[in-house]
Amino acid sequence: MERAIEIEPDEQRLADMLAIAEHRDQAALVRLFDHYVPKVRAFCLAAQPGANLMADDIAQEVMIRIWNKAHTYKPESASLNTWVFTLARNARIDYLRKNSRHQSDIDPEYLWQNVVDENADPFKDAQQKRDQERIQQGLEKLPADQKQVLAKVYLEGKTHKEAAEELSLPLGTIKSRVRLALHKLTIYVKR
Amino acid sequence: MINYHPSIEILTDYAAGSLPLAHSLCVSTHLERCQECQQQIRKLEMLGAHLFDRTHTDSRQLSNLKDSFFEKLNAQVEQKNESLSVEEEPVEIDWDNYVIPNSLRQFIKKSYDDLNWMRLSPSFKIATLYNEEGGAQIALTRVKAGAHMPTHTHTGDEITLVLEGAFSDESGVYRQGDFINRDASHKHKPIVTKDAECICLTVLDAPIEFTGWLTRLLNPLIRRYHPHSS
Repeated sequence: MERAIEIEPDEQRLADMLAIAEHRDQAALVRLFDHYVPKVRAFCLAAQPGANLMADDIAQEVMIRIWNKAHTYKPESASLNTWVFTLARNARIDYLRKNSRHQSDIDPEYLWQNVVDENADPFKDAQQKRDQERIQQGLEKLPADQKQVLAKVYLEGKTHKEAAEELSLPLGTIKSRVRLALHKLTIYVKR
Repeated sequence: MINYHPSIEILTDYAAGSLPLAHSLCVSTHLERCQECQQQIRKLEMLGAHLFDRTHTDSRQLSNLKDSFFEKLNAQVEQKNESLSVEEEPVEIDWDNYVIPNSLRQFIKKSYDDLNWMRLSPSFKIATLYNEEGGAQIALTRVKAGAHMPTHTHTGDEITLVLEGAFSDESGVYRQGDFINRDASHKHKPIVTKDAECICLTVLDAPIEFTGWLTRLLNPLIRRYHPHSS
């Protein structure tokens, strides 16, 4: 039941992206703002609880990037959610490197540019949908301890090592929880 | 054919954005050559997107933020539209026909030869790309065909990425695109293959230490150039 309701907003958002890319439609950007800004803020607050100003800055930066880069978004190579997640991730990295104690001159723009871009290919499109579904369904079934570690790494921006320290667990336990989770989601197949 | 890849932990931290930037630089350079890891990253980013989508949506009133955002946006739109174009840097090829990876373009504009190389022996040169404050040293090493690097141990973690040529040590042969992660306990003596010179990107969390009786004299010099010493 719920799924039927969810699909439509997704399509609306895709249409909004197209409207922004093709005729700079600000009403479309307003709709994306309402949907994504609370998520981006929550994503930032997970890493830095209470840092509302930082969350506001990063959320605005993500919206600016959506506006400026709308024409580079290719629906066939990544879902809109994935694309916005990578924008939020990169904006957060950029903010932290400019404002943290250990400033770095390494520009993250150079480091994540080549990953999402892939040529359109109907086979890949189908593969991508399959992967999406597996991940979405698998995530529901993961045990709480595995979900917790994934949240630490992805949302709180902790490395495996930092997650181990915070949960007072051996690094090996963290590693195996992540591996088990990735295995169940069929993301990781041992080489 | 690439045989050595970053571990799944490193790839996950990279996709999540929690990996230190110096290490991310090596992963990114590897990805430019490795389709297999690109696929892995694509899936890891999908997972990130699902977790991102499930964040507990923050319920704060955002109308002020929204107003100020659209004010700024309109100012930007009026100011100039040409700034919207994406900057594209031309791919430049140096006279050795080496193509500089995209990830390194921020440090190397044209050619490996333009870098400030420091000669440590007749066959071994090193050029620092960047020293992170209180962090890692990012450098290129350039070793002549058939030459060997002095035996050394690591005092911290070291990531090596083969950019050009190939080298081998006790554990294997490493070719273009290979990603090698060594920890502090490792002591090795790499030899470059005879057909071509070898250029590697290295990220050192702490200075390496030479263990040969003569090359030990180089240690103070190496330490001086590592950011941890300052």
